[in-house]
Amino acid sequence: MRMGSRRAIGFLTVVLAVAALVMAPARGDAQQPVKVTLWHAMGGARYEAITKDIAAGFNKANPNYVIEPLYTGSYAETVTKAIAAIRAGNPPHIVQVFEVGTQTMLDSGAIIAVQDLIKGDEINFNDYIEPILNYYKVGARLASMPFNSSTAIVYYNRDVFQKAGLDPSKPPATYKDVEEMGRKIVASGAARAAITFGWPSWMLEQAHAMHNKPYADHDSGRNGRATRVLFNEPFGVEVLSRWKRWADAKLLAYGGREYAPNKAFLSGEVAMLMQSTSQVTTIEKAAKFPVGTGFLPRIEGQSAGKSVIGGASFWVLKGPGRSPQELDAIVKFFKFVAQPEETARWHMDTGYFPATKAAVDLLRKQEWFVKHPNHETAFRQIQEGPDTPNTRGVLLGNFVQIRNITDTAIEKAVSGKLSPKDALDEAAREANKLLDEYNRIHK
Amino acid sequence: MEGRFPDRILPYVLLLPSIAVIVVFLIVPSAQALWLSFFEVSPFTGRGTFVGLNNFRELMTSDIYRHSLSVTLVFAVGVVALGLVLSLAIALLASLPFRGFGVYRTALLWPYALSPAVGGTIWALLFDPSTGPVTVLLRAVTGHAPNWMMDGEYALGVTVIAAAWKMLGFNIVFFLAGLQAVPQELKEAARVDGAGAARVFGRITFPILSPVTFFLFVMNSLYAFFEVFGLIDVMTQGGPGGATEILVYRLYQDAFISARWGIASAQSILLFVMVGALTLLQFRFAGRRVFYG
Repeated sequence: MRMGSRRAIGFLTVVLAVAALVMAPARGDAQQPVKVTLWHAMGGARYEAITKDIAAGFNKANPNYVIEPLYTGSYAETVTKAIAAIRAGNPPHIVQVFEVGTQTMLDSGAIIAVQDLIKGDEINFNDYIEPILNYYKVGARLASMPFNSSTAIVYYNRDVFQKAGLDPSKPPATYKDVEEMGRKIVASGAARAAITFGWPSWMLEQAHAMHNKPYADHDSGRNGRATRVLFNEPFGVEVLSRWKRWADAKLLAYGGREYAPNKAFLSGEVAMLMQSTSQVTTIEKAAKFPVGTGFLPRIEGQSAGKSVIGGASFWVLKGPGRSPQELDAIVKFFKFVAQPEETARWHMDTGYFPATKAAVDLLRKQEWFVKHPNHETAFRQIQEGPDTPNTRGVLLGNFVQIRNITDTAIEKAVSGKLSPKDALDEAAREANKLLDEYNRIHK
Repeated sequence: MEGRFPDRILPYVLLLPSIAVIVVFLIVPSAQALWLSFFEVSPFTGRGTFVGLNNFRELMTSDIYRHSLSVTLVFAVGVVALGLVLSLAIALLASLPFRGFGVYRTALLWPYALSPAVGGTIWALLFDPSTGPVTVLLRAVTGHAPNWMMDGEYALGVTVIAAAWKMLGFNIVFFLAGLQAVPQELKEAARVDGAGAARVFGRITFPILSPVTFFLFVMNSLYAFFEVFGLIDVMTQGGPGGATEILVYRLYQDAFISARWGIASAQSILLFVMVGALTLLQFRFAGRRVFYG
């Protein structure tokens, strides 16, 4: 291949390494502030919020400590980089890991559980909104520091609803509603398609939690490590069959993974969007029409659960020779993040949950939710429904890869390549192989 | 032989930096990959359990991997065929003397100078299922527009076009250089003898171009196998439903997203063997037909 460029890069690396060695002794002063590195995956508007508001704000308030935030790519890339850094023996102090990485982090042997780090009442965790705290508690122990929690909701285009003769203040409550309202929308020509969604496999997980169905054995991995996924049971097949029906009726315009479908919604082509609440601020700003929000639709006749927490949290990594000052800096930083003002501002900037009751009170006092009702939807949604292992969110080893496998299955089913049952069976076989492998490696 | 080195050591000393770089950045990682391919490795400790040829067996029996292999073959054939035919056609046109051809030639090179991320973004925007200009155009003309986020064949087609387009500039430059080596008097003589344009191309131009074509054939095959990762990552991430999941992308997923080092190493070894065999075959069969003048 392109040997020339490779060689050049190699040469440059050597030169830079030598240069770094030569220059190193010039630095190093006894009276330097204690540095704490924070690896995060917050792109876009969230980047400004985490670097300028949070990190810079903390550094100003704590002159002895310096938080150095570093954007390390997507969530999945951030986890992989952290793993590589742990192996190399030089991990960051704090890394932001998405919910999918929870099991991996727990088994890494490289973390300090937040519960062990924060002593006594330095942070009042009782003040945290329960469903949020519960996600990050594993076996009653708080493993990581809640930071940017989200869930999924329905966004809809009020103008389109109006044009289609629907009540613009009434989002669909059930899958049947989606279908009936969708048909009206498409027939009236108000939009080209009725609905789309981001994060397809997360939506399948959401549907399981919304109806209190296990996604994997051992109580969705909350009571012992999961060894088998259960998304190919009749319930999962039912969910996917409904999506397939939407696609066949031209109601569903599948728009790809993660945030790609936002474009179809924002352009007015599609009337409804199931997407993470982390997008509330972004979508409200970008939409040229009034945006409404509602709870995720339920499947009629199925048991009640509640929507599950997504997003990410801060994990503390051990690393060799963490000094007491460094640990103190981490605790101070978490205390800073937990302050009602900071939590409230983070929510306003992004749409992620205000994670503490004090922050919610503060927001209410400022009449924020009255002015921004779309920011309250998700908050009301996670407080409805029972708290069970299934609604606390599934934990899986090799979860990133399993998400990919389920995404593939969903795409195969909605495009008609395989029947929903066959697609999910195939995915479950692959996922179970990965779980076996994970459980073999992490004994 | 003239200009011999005064002693036996100096040439090795001069070679040392290159050898060191190759050993450190090529030989050692390759050996490590080979070693790792026999293990199931813990991502955190790097400790592995020896599993013999299990990783290879798992790959060979995996439907997903075999599917990925067939996607790669279709993709590579598409990229190489489309890329070579199109760039030869464009190079033939660009080699004609006309006003401002320097500007055209420079413009033709641009796609190659773009990063795969930028190229991928451009094509993804063009074909966006709701707002892309191509989608809007197709819908206006045919009343129906395929959604490449759902339609696997369409997605594969779009990525093939994007990947071939990305390589166009590189191919055109080589074809242009090759065309300049075609002696005018040969062509003139043929024309005097009454040969038409097609015949001149078939009997004179193309045979003289054959070394360049063969070189580009090998380079484009390597490109289609190894270097399209960025494009796929930006455009489809292997979707929909694995329709564009070529081998390198699958390898990336296993190695850098899932940290499954053992099975990822096994994949890199397989890929290495496959491309090595392919290149050998190309030299054996196509290489023989090349006319070096």
